Amino acid sequence: MSSENSKLTRHQKADVLVLLSLAGLVVWYLFDAYQASDHFANLILILPVSIVVLALCVVEFISQLRGKHEPPPDLDPIASMMPVILLFITFVVTLEWLGFDVGTCLFVAAFLWLHGERRIVWIVGYSITFALLMSLFFSKMLPYPMPMLILPTAY
Amino acid sequence: MNMNDVIGGFSLLFADPSVWLIVIPGILIGLIFGAIPGLQISMAMAIFLPLTLYMDFMQAMLFLTAIFTGGGFGGSIPAILMNIPGTSSSVATTFDGYPMSQRGEHNTALGIGLGSSCIGVIVGYSILFFLIGPISEMVLKLGPAEMAAVILWGITLIASLSGDNLNKGVISGLVGLLIGTVGYGETGVARGTMGSVYLLDGIPAIPAMMGMFAASELFKLVNSQYLVEDQSLRKVSVKKILAGFWNAFRYPVSLIRGSLIGVFVGSVPGVGSSVASLLSYIQAKRKAKNPETFGKGNPSGIVAAEAANSTSEAGSMATLLALGIPGGGATAVMLAAFAMHNITGGPQFIREQTDVVYAIIFANFSQAFLLIGLGLIFIPILANIIKVPMNYLVPSVLAVAVFGAFGLTGDLTGPITVMVFSLIGLLFKRFDYSVPAAVIGLLLGGMAEDALIFTYQISGGMWSYLLERPVTIFILVMLVISLFGGKLVSMLTKKVKQ
Repeated sequence: MSSENSKLTRHQKADVLVLLSLAGLVVWYLFDAYQASDHFANLILILPVSIVVLALCVVEFISQLRGKHEPPPDLDPIASMMPVILLFITFVVTLEWLGFDVGTCLFVAAFLWLHGERRIVWIVGYSITFALLMSLFFSKMLPYPMPMLILPTAY
Repeated sequence: MNMNDVIGGFSLLFADPSVWLIVIPGILIGLIFGAIPGLQISMAMAIFLPLTLYMDFMQAMLFLTAIFTGGGFGGSIPAILMNIPGTSSSVATTFDGYPMSQRGEHNTALGIGLGSSCIGVIVGYSILFFLIGPISEMVLKLGPAEMAAVILWGITLIASLSGDNLNKGVISGLVGLLIGTVGYGETGVARGTMGSVYLLDGIPAIPAMMGMFAASELFKLVNSQYLVEDQSLRKVSVKKILAGFWNAFRYPVSLIRGSLIGVFVGSVPGVGSSVASLLSYIQAKRKAKNPETFGKGNPSGIVAAEAANSTSEAGSMATLLALGIPGGGATAVMLAAFAMHNITGGPQFIREQTDVVYAIIFANFSQAFLLIGLGLIFIPILANIIKVPMNYLVPSVLAVAVFGAFGLTGDLTGPITVMVFSLIGLLFKRFDYSVPAAVIGLLLGGMAEDALIFTYQISGGMWSYLLERPVTIFILVMLVISLFGGKLVSMLTKKVKQ
């Protein structure tokens, strides 16, 4: 896309959105730090760094609006990653209830199914073995209890 | 240097061969803990510390330093093969190690990592052997002002890691720096926690790194069949690993510069091997004739990173032995071992038990050679990971990262951090923001703030205090030269030509 063309592509619009989100995050953090304490020592790093970031964001924003950045040619379609991303989020969020043992087993099994593995023995065998070995190893090695649903734990 | 002490050191080590029995298990423990993301070297040393109660002091030191040496290299194995830094000091190894693996050069990359690590340990302890006195004196002269200047230098150099878009690279680094200050600061107030108790200690840096580097990369790989698509390139070859090992010698400048940076930065308490390896990597890239190849699989990048993180072990040992101050988690455990054997590190220890100090140094030379042998046996077994289909590898590695992150924080903050930062990493990669720069910022944020606050407190708010610190001025001058020196020279050359 050239600078003469005023229309931004979808990727470029998303790029602007990411930039604005970063700038918003910095403004919020600066405000939060200032509210926590306006003492010089509390802002000794946060204030100057935030100002520099915001200034750079303005420069970047202008250059993006001019459509200066071409999107990289080899972007993977985000839609193809979404099922895995959602599965991973579900895995982490449900760890508290499903525990590392059952949670990991279900995560690995679901992932294998999603990615074309149709041999049930392999899916069941690998996910159970992997989850069991990992849960046992880490629960023995770590000095604190881990959330588990079936395996014994002091969590 | 007193020759009697040197001979005394030798006799302490070799008078009783049974002392050596615990070195090989020590190196293996270090390799395994380093290679498993989430299990830290300091954790391995702490777990096995009670065992040293049944050993004499020399044996305990050999055992713990063997874990330290093995772990220093172990962290580079998942960094190269899976883009997961096994330890925080292996972050810089991922930059070029993982692209080499993707090209099917995993054998060479692992060999280079092993070679530079072993040489790094030898160079580091050689420097320690000759310079333990001056190093300890130098460390005493370094205050927070110097630390702040070093960090500032590192952060301004982030720009050189930023790829094509310099602006976005600096934004990434500085946003990372701000994220690194989340939670309670030195002033005792909590910032950016959104009311969550989990964030009071700040955002856990290593789980965040795991998310940004590894998980986000794994999401991108879900549609691939194998890490290396070409079947002929997936072979594990001891011959190539060995060739890679010798390849490390082809980059003597990166090796020596990395070792020097490692030993001196590593000796500064609280800075540690992660900063040393990042600084060494940045310098290697800046000084290279082909800086654009860094981050795309340049072997010199691995050499620079691994040489520095291995030598920083010697640096932190210098501070421990000469001043009794632990430079990081691993040396803190070693200090505990000192206490368990009623020994106090410091100038008096160096003066009165010089033979023990030399014995520790010589033992580390031997450990470096043992690491070569054990590494060459161990690496081919682990390198087979490249042959695992992605539909099995991706969920397994993601799960290991989650287990490891829990291991680092002791609660679900770790796994949640991995999850959140994997999404941030994915966005950063997609929109050309620099993930390495953000990670460096994240690592240095808290440290930079503390150093600035201490400088402010010591100076009483008088910035003229900096003029009384020659080392600070020197570092700041170096900073300006490294930022504008090249441009100034080219401008002057143009004028002369005109």
